Amino acid sequence: MSERLELPQGTLDLLILKTLGLGPQHGWAISERVQQISSDVLRIQQGSLYPALHRLQRRGWIAGSWGTSENNRRAKYYELTAAGRRQLEVEETSWRKLAAAVGQVLEAI
Amino acid sequence: MLDDLRYRLRALLRRDDTEEQLDEELRFHYEQEIEKQIESGLSREEAIRRARERFGGLEQVKEECRDARGVRFLENLRQDFHYGLRLLRKSPGFAGLAILTLTLGIGANTAIFSMVNALLLHPYDFRDLDRLVRVWEYRGVDEGFDSRRLAPADAAEFSGSTRIFRSLATYQCRDFNLTVNGAAEPVRGCGISANFFEVLGVSAAMGRTFSAEEDRPGTDAVVVLSHGFWQRRMGGQLSALGSNIPINGRPYTVIGIMPRGFDYPVPMEFWVPLALTPAEKANRADLSLEALARLQPGVGVKQAQAVLAGESLRLEQEYPLTNANRAVLVMLLRKELYSFTLPIFLLLQAAALFVLLLAIANLVNVHFARMIGRQKELALRLALGGTRSRLAQLLICESLELSAISAVVTIAASFWSVRVLRDSISPDWTMWVPGWNAIRVDTTVLAFTVLVAIAAGVIFGLVSVLHAGKLQLNQTLKEGGPGNMTRASNRLRSGFVVAQVMFALTLLVCAGLMIQGFTRLANIYGGFEPASVLKAEITLPEKKYDSDAQVVNFHRELLQRTAALLGVTGVALNSNNPASNVDNPTTLFTVEGSVAQKVSDTPSADVEVASPGYFQVLHIPMLAGRGFTEADTATAPAVVMVSESMAKRFWPEDNALGRRIKLGAFNSDAKWLTVIGIVGDVRQNWWNPPGRPVIYECSVQYPDRGMKLLLRTNSSPEKYGSSLREIVRGLDAEVIVNELGTLEKEVGDSIAIVRVMGMLMGIFGGVALVLSAIGVYGVLAESVAQRKREFGVRVALGARPGDILRQVVLHSLKLTGIGLGLALPLTVVISRAVSHYVFGLVAMNFGVPLFFAGTLLAVGVVAAYLPARRVMGVDPIVALRHE
Repeated sequence: MSERLELPQGTLDLLILKTLGLGPQHGWAISERVQQISSDVLRIQQGSLYPALHRLQRRGWIAGSWGTSENNRRAKYYELTAAGRRQLEVEETSWRKLAAAVGQVLEAI
Repeated sequence: MLDDLRYRLRALLRRDDTEEQLDEELRFHYEQEIEKQIESGLSREEAIRRARERFGGLEQVKEECRDARGVRFLENLRQDFHYGLRLLRKSPGFAGLAILTLTLGIGANTAIFSMVNALLLHPYDFRDLDRLVRVWEYRGVDEGFDSRRLAPADAAEFSGSTRIFRSLATYQCRDFNLTVNGAAEPVRGCGISANFFEVLGVSAAMGRTFSAEEDRPGTDAVVVLSHGFWQRRMGGQLSALGSNIPINGRPYTVIGIMPRGFDYPVPMEFWVPLALTPAEKANRADLSLEALARLQPGVGVKQAQAVLAGESLRLEQEYPLTNANRAVLVMLLRKELYSFTLPIFLLLQAAALFVLLLAIANLVNVHFARMIGRQKELALRLALGGTRSRLAQLLICESLELSAISAVVTIAASFWSVRVLRDSISPDWTMWVPGWNAIRVDTTVLAFTVLVAIAAGVIFGLVSVLHAGKLQLNQTLKEGGPGNMTRASNRLRSGFVVAQVMFALTLLVCAGLMIQGFTRLANIYGGFEPASVLKAEITLPEKKYDSDAQVVNFHRELLQRTAALLGVTGVALNSNNPASNVDNPTTLFTVEGSVAQKVSDTPSADVEVASPGYFQVLHIPMLAGRGFTEADTATAPAVVMVSESMAKRFWPEDNALGRRIKLGAFNSDAKWLTVIGIVGDVRQNWWNPPGRPVIYECSVQYPDRGMKLLLRTNSSPEKYGSSLREIVRGLDAEVIVNELGTLEKEVGDSIAIVRVMGMLMGIFGGVALVLSAIGVYGVLAESVAQRKREFGVRVALGARPGDILRQVVLHSLKLTGIGLGLALPLTVVISRAVSHYVFGLVAMNFGVPLFFAGTLLAVGVVAAYLPARRVMGVDPIVALRHE
């Protein structure tokens, strides 16, 4: 198992939004997907995932609804709202800018 | 933003739903995790263990989700609310006591406020009530007697001050005769200036009110009827408008009907134009008119007062003969109405507030005892991470619940109790009190009640929190026992007992003074004996009795026949009974030989007409000279009797008997009247200052068609009513008998409001006494119970039971003593204020405070003795084992 990183403050929301950008998902799938795509580097703790989902829902960026999972179980699916989509763009842009800037600084010195 | 609100609302309102969904969501995640672990080849047990490990504390996740939902505070509140209710249900005794105590406290405030609200805040529903003022003059020579009237010529000058008054109306209430079926009947009416209704801002419900042209002699035969008169006497027919009614033997055309409930200045049958003659208008000598004005917008009472004072000074210089030493007063109508009673109401409201504070102090004390039992629970809550603010929230929630329930009980009961309060005084009297019938539970009263309840709940809760802060939690958990009072909380509770004793003493002293004041008020009419006297108003029709001789003959016949009734020991006639709520006509008079050469120096006196025998019938003492006799006829020398105060004031050195006076000022050409007798002072109405000069004229010499008949009987005066009516009917069927009743009831009614207030004060005082006794007992019982072991040891070591008893009683005396010591100076201040304001009836004295201080000390001793006794009966061995 490769080395795991702690998520920097504020990035969890971005990751959730980005993941949901691909389509509606339930909480478990979100955490699995992030883990998979990041090649197991990023692992979201349940303890922070669900409060984050509730917070995003309160802000109106995602909406929850009950559906049926792949193995025929009732599961709560989240999807991006229009506001969420806009928020995703904003956060993505600012993250890229931040990452680029940090990279530049690291390389220059 | 809106989404946010909707989300929070849903989370709050559909809480169970939301919680269930969260549960399901997390369970799904957990099970998925287990399945994944099993798929990767682990055993089921191992998979579950891993999943749990990865998951962390389930409750913690949930709690964080709840936080994320943003409803944490309300959610907690909801929990506390349910928890509080559960606690209350579990200890119904405490809940019942708390609710009863709080209900008493809140209810007392609601009851008094319902009166304040109706009488002081909304006595009339006139437009812009706070711009209506009454204006009147004082004459310096009248020594503080205040008729609340002004001279017509002065009124005309004042109404010219348009800078301050938009309009000033004058009026004069009188008795009129209404001819019904050929018989004259006395009715209450009011002569008013044409702008009277305009000043009040009220217009006729039907028809119109007076024009300026109609306010002149000759064109003034028009009348505006009250709604009641129109309903009762004219059947509420529309045809009443334009019809004629005979008033004082002259046909008046009905031009308008006032709206229902309009009864300014007092309940009236009708209003007619004042229509003063030019001579009457020019009168500057007699204060004969009442005045009411509407202030210009932006003008305050003080400003109006200043302007009129200047005017008055100018008049004084211009007309020194009449206006010297005359002062003018402007007072808010609302204030004027209750200038006598306002201090009592404020006192009552303050007393009600004290009762509430006392109730809260008591509850806090009881609550403390409970808190000791709950100390472990609270300590545990804190140890498990409950914050102190969360704990405070819980405690305040509990107390708010109690006060909310009490408020509901109070409100439910108030609809009944406020009606009882309102109906506790005879409507014969309350009809004279503007706003009395409006005493009810309206939205203002409800809002007040809710506010008081919330305030009570918060205060109660905060004090509990204060106490909880003093809990020594580590100690409690370590000890593991039921927990002990810490020194700090013991001190706090003792402080409450001291405060309770203070409140109680203050309340009791106020109650005592009010009751004393009431008793004195009842004895104000002590100048005569109202018991066993029947009274009635006898009115002779003007047409039939147009000569004095006819009136005198009828009265003589009437007196003879009624005196012959079995069981009647005396009969008499009088123009106005004491305690009738109607003032006597006031007139200027001149003492023969007096040097006064100015009207302004001419004193005034009440004038009453009385028949021979009047003073004997009412048991008014004859102090000197003789009474009237049948020989004092119109042809005999004109004679008068005077009151004791009048004799003392105007003939201070020598005997008043044989001296002469005349009515009117120095230049009056009235007949000289010889003083033949001096009688004891009788106060006409409770609001009149004592010692007002009274001149009595003889009914044989100055007969009047409208007189009050008085029958002194051996017993049960009310039984003679029918015989009286029969006699009058036998004499002349057209003569009208009105206001039949006992004099005792009239006197009782007239001071009923003070009696009710005294009673309320008494109740408050009693409640205060009981509450403080419970408080003292509670604290001592608690501390004695805690020291059981100590006492046991001491007894085992040879202490005598008496020593312990003495110690406990001393402790109680110390607490009550401190409370009394702090309260006594306060009560002195309050008594002084009370004696100053409450009709000047209650003399400041130390007897009342000392008496109640003694009572409270006695209560303290008993409250200490009982628990001490109980402990002393315990075997030392048992007490020691008790731990």
